[in-house]
Amino acid sequence: MLEPLVIQKQEDTPSVILNKEEGAFEIGHRSLPENAIAFYEPVLNWLNEYKNNPLPKTIFNFKLEYFNTASAKQLAKVLLVLQELAQTNDVLIRWHYLKDDADMHSSGLRFSKLLKIPFEFIEM
Amino acid sequence: MIENQSLDFVKQLFFLMHDYHLGYIYKGIFTQDVTDTILSLTENKLEKQEESSKTKKRVYNILVEALQNVTRHQASDVEIDPQHDSLFLIQKMNNRYVITTGNIAQTKNIPYLQSLIDKINTLNKDELKEYYKTVLEEGSISDKGGAGLGLIDMARKAGNKLIYKFVPLSGDLSYFYLCTVPIVEEDVQGQNIGISEFHFVEKIHAILNKENLSIINNGPFNQESLLTLLNSLEGQMTGSISHKKKVFYIVVEMLQNIIKHGYIPQEGYDKDVIPGIFLLGFNKNYYRILTGNFIENEQLITLKKKIDKVNALTKEEIDDFYNDSLFNFEGANSKKTGLGMIDIRLKSGFPVQYDILPINNQYSFLSLQSLIAVE
Repeated sequence: MLEPLVIQKQEDTPSVILNKEEGAFEIGHRSLPENAIAFYEPVLNWLNEYKNNPLPKTIFNFKLEYFNTASAKQLAKVLLVLQELAQTNDVLIRWHYLKDDADMHSSGLRFSKLLKIPFEFIEM
Repeated sequence: MIENQSLDFVKQLFFLMHDYHLGYIYKGIFTQDVTDTILSLTENKLEKQEESSKTKKRVYNILVEALQNVTRHQASDVEIDPQHDSLFLIQKMNNRYVITTGNIAQTKNIPYLQSLIDKINTLNKDELKEYYKTVLEEGSISDKGGAGLGLIDMARKAGNKLIYKFVPLSGDLSYFYLCTVPIVEEDVQGQNIGISEFHFVEKIHAILNKENLSIINNGPFNQESLLTLLNSLEGQMTGSISHKKKVFYIVVEMLQNIIKHGYIPQEGYDKDVIPGIFLLGFNKNYYRILTGNFIENEQLITLKKKIDKVNALTKEEIDDFYNDSLFNFEGANSKKTGLGMIDIRLKSGFPVQYDILPINNQYSFLSLQSLIAVE
């Protein structure tokens, strides 16, 4: 069984919950680290591992309030792994955004247009 | 008009602040939020520089007093005339903190203020204590007591003389600069450690007025100070959440640009601190976010190309360019995402303005400006 990956939020890095057993997949809070590649490396590793033996349905929650461009590219990588997974399994992206946060909403819309995975938009 | 603004003042301010070791300047309306922000920013800097706790406490106490004074005496018409804004500057010179404030004063009150400060400056510690009591009693019958008490208290807490200058403005108003240098442990009590020059303060003040600038932060630029600065902006900015966030996005990208690409000249700068300047200004129509930093000449060609490219694109084209870059991982590394400038241009809606001053054949000084329309 794949061990869960849980990262507590810091002032500039997001909270991460990746737990196969509980079917919980979430990235939240805000993401503006100086080195986004280093932060997202374990997240991507975990997902690539998970992809080999996934649950029948994966609901992935993005609950971000803010991310910098360095993080945007890493989130794109995360979503690409999920897109790969979606070729063989059910994947749903739940993109949460704060009410009145047009930028976060349109970031989600952008990803949904560029990817072939179903997105659901939820106002927080 | 926007396109052709000169950014020469960024460089001017950077060198003035560097030469006079200024850390932070605020010009504007002093609210509780602003005061709290300045206190926490300074506390953070004091913490970082590991001053002795006695020095820290002393500097902190003076700051509180100075900020209270400047808040109490700010002009009531500041919202109408930014030239009447109050001012706050903090410097660290020869291991001492120099705190300067500025505010509008009625010209007719100057003789009183002048004689009061001159008198304060002749008194020793015990005499100041006595004088405080006298003014406190007088204060109950005259409204001048308030100002007097604040000034006596500053002198007491600083253990040093007060330095001042009045500059006449139009009408019956003058601008009152007040400077305090709290003595530190190794100083002898009552010793006069004064800097009696205000010319650079006036010079900076004039630029702030001319360019409508409100906040200037002179580094250091690292992730930690970026977070402190972001927190401080939260308290100092007005407007809707989404508008505030736009400013946020751009500030983060511009500052992380400095953190990633800023160059440290070998002479005259600390080895491990990236020198640079961050400025925030606003008028009726725009927020102006500006940065200035050194950059290696070899990086300039790529940067110029990138900015010229994003500036030339229409909104739809920038959007497409963003999408392409978002999923293009070729050549991207932890220092270079290829998205920053596109995002700044996208969020701002205005062209990104730059100005390059060549320093030598190795590096240059780069000024950047991004605008956001006021809602």
